[in-house]
Amino acid sequence: MFSLKPPRPTFRSYLLPPPQTDDQISAEPKIKKLEPVLLPGEIVVNEVNFVRKCIATDTSQYDLWGKLICSNFKISFITDDPMPLQKFHYRNLLLGEHDVPLTCIEQIVTVNDHKRKQKVLGPNQKLKFNPTELIIYCKDFRIVRFRFDESGPESAKKVCLAIAHYSQPTDLQLLFAFEYVGKKYHNSASNMNGVPCESGGGGVSGPGAGSSQKTPLFETYSDWDREVKRTGASGWRVCSVNEGYMVSTCLPEYFVVPSSLADQDLKIFSHSFVGRRIPLWCWSHSNGSALVRMALIKDVLQQRKIDQRICNAITKSHPQRSDVYKSDLDKTLPNIQEIQAAFVKLKQLCVNEPFEETEEKWLSSLESTRWLEYVRAFLKHSAELVYMLESKHLSVVLQEEEGRDLSCSVASLVQVMLDPYFRTITGFQSLIQKEWVMSGYQFLDRCNHLKRSEKESPLFLLFLDATWQLLEQYPAAFEFSETYLAVLYDSTRISLFGTFLFNSPHQRVKQSTEFAISKNIQLGDEKGLKFPSVWDWSLQFTARERALFHNPVYIGKSTPCLQSSSMKSFRRTKSYSSTLRAVPSSFRNGVLSDPELLPRRNSLVLKPKPDPQQQADGRGGDAEQYFRDWFSRPCDLHGVILPRLSAAHIKLWKLCYFRWVPEAQISLGGFITAFRKLSLLADEVDALSRTLRQQRGGALDAGCAEPAQSRMYFRAGGPQAHAAGTPEFLSSSFPFSPVGNLCRRSILGTPLSKFLSGAKIWLSTETLANED
Amino acid sequence: MTQSRQPVREGGRRVVAQGLGSHGVGGRAPEGAEQGPGAEQPGNAGGARNPRVSSMASASAPKCNSHTSENEPVKSTSQDGVNCDLNETVPRLPGETLITDKEVIYICPFNGPIKGRVYITNYRLYLRSLETDSTLIFDVPLGVISRIEKMGGATSRGENSYGLDITCKDMRNLRFALKQEGHSRRDMFEILTRYAFPLAHSLPLFAFLNEEKFNVDGWMVYNPVEEYRRQGLPNHQWRITFINKCYELCETYPALLVVPYRASDDDLRRVAAFRSRNRIPVLSWIHPENKMVIVRCSQPLVGMSGKRNKDDEKYLDVIRETNRQLSKLTIYDARPSVNAVANKATGGGYESDDAYHNAELFFLDIHNIHVMRESLKKVKDIVYPNVEESHWLSSLESTHWLEHIKLVLTGAIQVADKVSSGKSSVLVHCSDGWDRTAQLTSLAMLMLDSFYRSIEGFEILVQKEWISFGHKFASRIGHGDKNHADADRSPIFLQFVDCVWQMSKQFPTAFEFNERFLITILDHLYSCRFGTFLLNCESAREKQKVTERTVSLWSLINSNKEKFKNPFYTKEINRVLYPVASMRHLELWVNYYIRWNPRIKQQQPNAVEQRYMELLALRDDYIKRLEELQLANSSKVSSASTSPSSPSQMMPHVQTHF
Repeated sequence: MFSLKPPRPTFRSYLLPPPQTDDQISAEPKIKKLEPVLLPGEIVVNEVNFVRKCIATDTSQYDLWGKLICSNFKISFITDDPMPLQKFHYRNLLLGEHDVPLTCIEQIVTVNDHKRKQKVLGPNQKLKFNPTELIIYCKDFRIVRFRFDESGPESAKKVCLAIAHYSQPTDLQLLFAFEYVGKKYHNSASNMNGVPCESGGGGVSGPGAGSSQKTPLFETYSDWDREVKRTGASGWRVCSVNEGYMVSTCLPEYFVVPSSLADQDLKIFSHSFVGRRIPLWCWSHSNGSALVRMALIKDVLQQRKIDQRICNAITKSHPQRSDVYKSDLDKTLPNIQEIQAAFVKLKQLCVNEPFEETEEKWLSSLESTRWLEYVRAFLKHSAELVYMLESKHLSVVLQEEEGRDLSCSVASLVQVMLDPYFRTITGFQSLIQKEWVMSGYQFLDRCNHLKRSEKESPLFLLFLDATWQLLEQYPAAFEFSETYLAVLYDSTRISLFGTFLFNSPHQRVKQSTEFAISKNIQLGDEKGLKFPSVWDWSLQFTARERALFHNPVYIGKSTPCLQSSSMKSFRRTKSYSSTLRAVPSSFRNGVLSDPELLPRRNSLVLKPKPDPQQQADGRGGDAEQYFRDWFSRPCDLHGVILPRLSAAHIKLWKLCYFRWVPEAQISLGGFITAFRKLSLLADEVDALSRTLRQQRGGALDAGCAEPAQSRMYFRAGGPQAHAAGTPEFLSSSFPFSPVGNLCRRSILGTPLSKFLSGAKIWLSTETLANED
Repeated sequence: MTQSRQPVREGGRRVVAQGLGSHGVGGRAPEGAEQGPGAEQPGNAGGARNPRVSSMASASAPKCNSHTSENEPVKSTSQDGVNCDLNETVPRLPGETLITDKEVIYICPFNGPIKGRVYITNYRLYLRSLETDSTLIFDVPLGVISRIEKMGGATSRGENSYGLDITCKDMRNLRFALKQEGHSRRDMFEILTRYAFPLAHSLPLFAFLNEEKFNVDGWMVYNPVEEYRRQGLPNHQWRITFINKCYELCETYPALLVVPYRASDDDLRRVAAFRSRNRIPVLSWIHPENKMVIVRCSQPLVGMSGKRNKDDEKYLDVIRETNRQLSKLTIYDARPSVNAVANKATGGGYESDDAYHNAELFFLDIHNIHVMRESLKKVKDIVYPNVEESHWLSSLESTHWLEHIKLVLTGAIQVADKVSSGKSSVLVHCSDGWDRTAQLTSLAMLMLDSFYRSIEGFEILVQKEWISFGHKFASRIGHGDKNHADADRSPIFLQFVDCVWQMSKQFPTAFEFNERFLITILDHLYSCRFGTFLLNCESAREKQKVTERTVSLWSLINSNKEKFKNPFYTKEINRVLYPVASMRHLELWVNYYIRWNPRIKQQQPNAVEQRYMELLALRDDYIKRLEELQLANSSKVSSASTSPSSPSQMMPHVQTHF
């Protein structure tokens, strides 16, 4: 079926839809026959039997036997054997526990131990030896290893080559989403006229969770209009000048501009901007200050003039006619190559290097990746812009050459800090739609789905990481949990969702229209194919598992609050910190400018270095004062939140980066154990509140009983709730599990299994001998 | 008050149930720990000075829950920070007297100079800002002072360049500028020196003057016989011996020891001759099921010539045989092997393979007290007054503090694993067996025995493995001693508490106590307000009648336990905790080491904890309202049978959730 040198292999050439696929998606995996579970449009490209999946490096006793297949969507290992040592599996409906989506593959290494050869496989490459081993390095930090000792050497080789080939496609339309959606259209064509089943931003949560409204995708005029109204922005209007992408192919069809600029002006100006990117409105503060993102003006002659016109228009749109503050992101933040370099180092450090050997220099190695430094730089800069918008009442313009990389991160972070709506699940999703997907963040290139590595950069992950820092510092301010953020990151690696597949909305329309034509799909009035949206979480997780996205600490506007007078004290009051109570009014800005006060040998004055955290150039004093005042006040979780930026506050996001590292797993521990206790209590409170409402309302209208669906994953009435102990499947990796996902040199010869079972951590040498 | 001196043996269990039920929001006192140890006192402002306030408060006490401090009403106003300075001067404990007060300029490293008045009592240094726009207050027990230096001379010029620089043991410095005229600096220096270092002036430590009363007696917390009984001792293999009743066998050991049944008192005396400072191997802990034991001692006196002692060798073999296991006895020498070898030169050493056939020795590479002291000094350098921002992680690495923490934890994990897996009994020693040994045995016991993870259990653990077994608190901390550069000082106990904190971070539900409990212990490690950590060993404490003449820290804590409880605590019996001793998980304890920096300190209690408490309050309120509703409904039903829903239909609703 698979030839080594297909003339121009495409997925299309294999489009022989097996008739049974549609049944299989809902059917239980047919374990006995080792059949793969396939999605609509998914086909098996190649397979090999009698493959061993390695679980531990130093012993083969836990290895699993099964079949390895490569489809046009994933590699899948199908086995009868139950996963050893694993206590929990967070089930993804699209992917089995041994599956890796092709777009998640980073590198494919084939090994022949007899010949002591190893080769990294690119697309269309030859393999001169028969591999005895295949190691897959994944973009989500997993490493998977297979051995072919008992398999047919030729089939093993073919599977390896197939994986290499299909995971590194040459064309966007070869990504699985096209096949999947095409299939859906074909199937539904017989019933209705080309209407796909999913239509975009599905709610994340089950009923009763209060956030089941759809995520606005900002594909339509009305989504933008609603956002303008929601923020109360006056002086701004939705413009349709880019309908049909007539002006710019990297802008959305609809966006918001100053009311004083006419469509005709915009069209003229657009020629001067890089990518014809007319400045985009992002958000307006209730004080009228607006956040705007803008590409560079490439036309040097026109630069001043156009810049002036735009700034004037923004000023005019401000109710107080406030000035515009421009922030040149290219000059203040690391560029995408630097961020990518940091990420590569971080990944190297977290998963590739031997665990024990990196221990001694762990902290300095982590520092030298610069990842945390960059996360901090983004947070810091965003916080400074919050100051401009919030305190100085200035509109802020983010300037960046193309305006579609750093701007996405900064614009999003500023809004997360300023607007509590973006800290809800729906709000956060709409923010990603607004500032990333629709504004032309180049997911295709930055995620490197097509493996043209020079454009790869993990800017989106950096944003999620920065959001995690805020979540870590203000756990009650966010509706979502860190699991949600990690799952969201993983979802960028599944080539099924239109959300993270394209460089711009226009690309989606153009490519999918081409595809539709070639596949004879009737699009009707639609602009391109409707790909499944990642926000339709029900595609990946059941309602029960989606409950883990909910943060039990969150205090939402709709969170039950006591109404009786006894609850006056319920308002959160922050106890002020330190020996210095309520000092802000006496602050000297931390800087002693008087030369007499500079420390000398016999002087008493300890030199207070100006706090680098809040040194905004020139305006340092004011901004610093603003931050100090803010931190000295009780925090309103439904208002602005600002990050604490001291180096000691910026932490490594362990769940995301360590979840696949068995040695780093804390069995029966980690924050999740406290999370569980909280969930149980929150669930109990929810249930009580429902009962109370039912009983109150009972007399009036007994009919409006709510469904008793819990928003918590851990439930008060659940089976483990009253069992005294911590459920044994909990660990610092939860809900993920490192078992079987990482096979590399074990530490100091300590059997990996010991770590996995959590029973023993340190073993002396004499026990090792017994192990094998 | 009425229940004063009531022994609280099972207090832990009693309060858990109450705590969950009654912990209302109103009961959450504003956090005062920022002020340092002084803030923990009950009756902070009023109680002591004005006995009438105190008695009035107690009159209303019966209405409160028994664990509510009798001084709560007074306290809440004083902590407000506003009410207390109307015409108040300084909070005072019973037995505390004001010595002097002075107008000074406090040179705040974070906010520049602040004019204030400083009050010095025989217990504390208290400063209140005199600037109208600032309410700066701080409260520092004199015990925390390590060093007082005069800064600037008669010729000093420039503002605020003449005054005092006070180095504290808790990671901060205080600087005061004084007027040059009128000897105010000389006076302040002399008074501070006198009361901060009373030992040099033949004055008693404040703990001996403290007349505080609590409704529980912390000295009753630890009773060795009871603790050994809890462990199932004595049994057929292990006996309790009173051979050290008068501290004749070993001056630095407790009076009561647990030794193998088969070793006679004469054997013990002969073994003592071969162990440094006579600290013979004795039992610390026994596994309830497999009967493996943790035994602690000091190094053997092997010396350069490689001396052997048949009695010692036999004694170790007797220990090995107590659980009828054929495996070798595991000896963990806490030191790096180089150090162990070097100790031979001074008569010490380690158990050689030739002499101890049935034992296997491992070195745990934990460094000595001097290394730890220098390491902590480096930590202070990078966190006070300013945090080293530009290269934070590599600076932190270069202090090696977390690396030392890792080694200590790793050692303890190995001990715990050996014992819990039933592979062999373990003997732990370092040189003298009172520093690293105490760290290892107590941490291993904390991992193995969930009892020690409760508040009282932890108190017992500290009381047993540290205080009674002669960790030299007086020398390591230097209570009331002016010799700040004493080479005997070292943050060994702090390091242990840091390890406990690291464990509590990794297992947020495993400990009954919270971070505040640990910080309070550390604050009073220095404060000299309580007798708990005074002196070097039990015999010295007995001579000084410490338990009679001073108050125990556990009295303070146990009389107000709610404050020190971890809301997420889930009691789990028989669960062994294995923390991951990796640099990937170890963190600098910011809320302790960097707590003086207002920019760094995090919100206390943390938001997750706070939210949990709020939810508890919410739950209680709902339950109350449901009950009221049902009561109202049922009365409606009984009065008018036309009611649509009958109470019998409602009741199950509520019950399903509990």
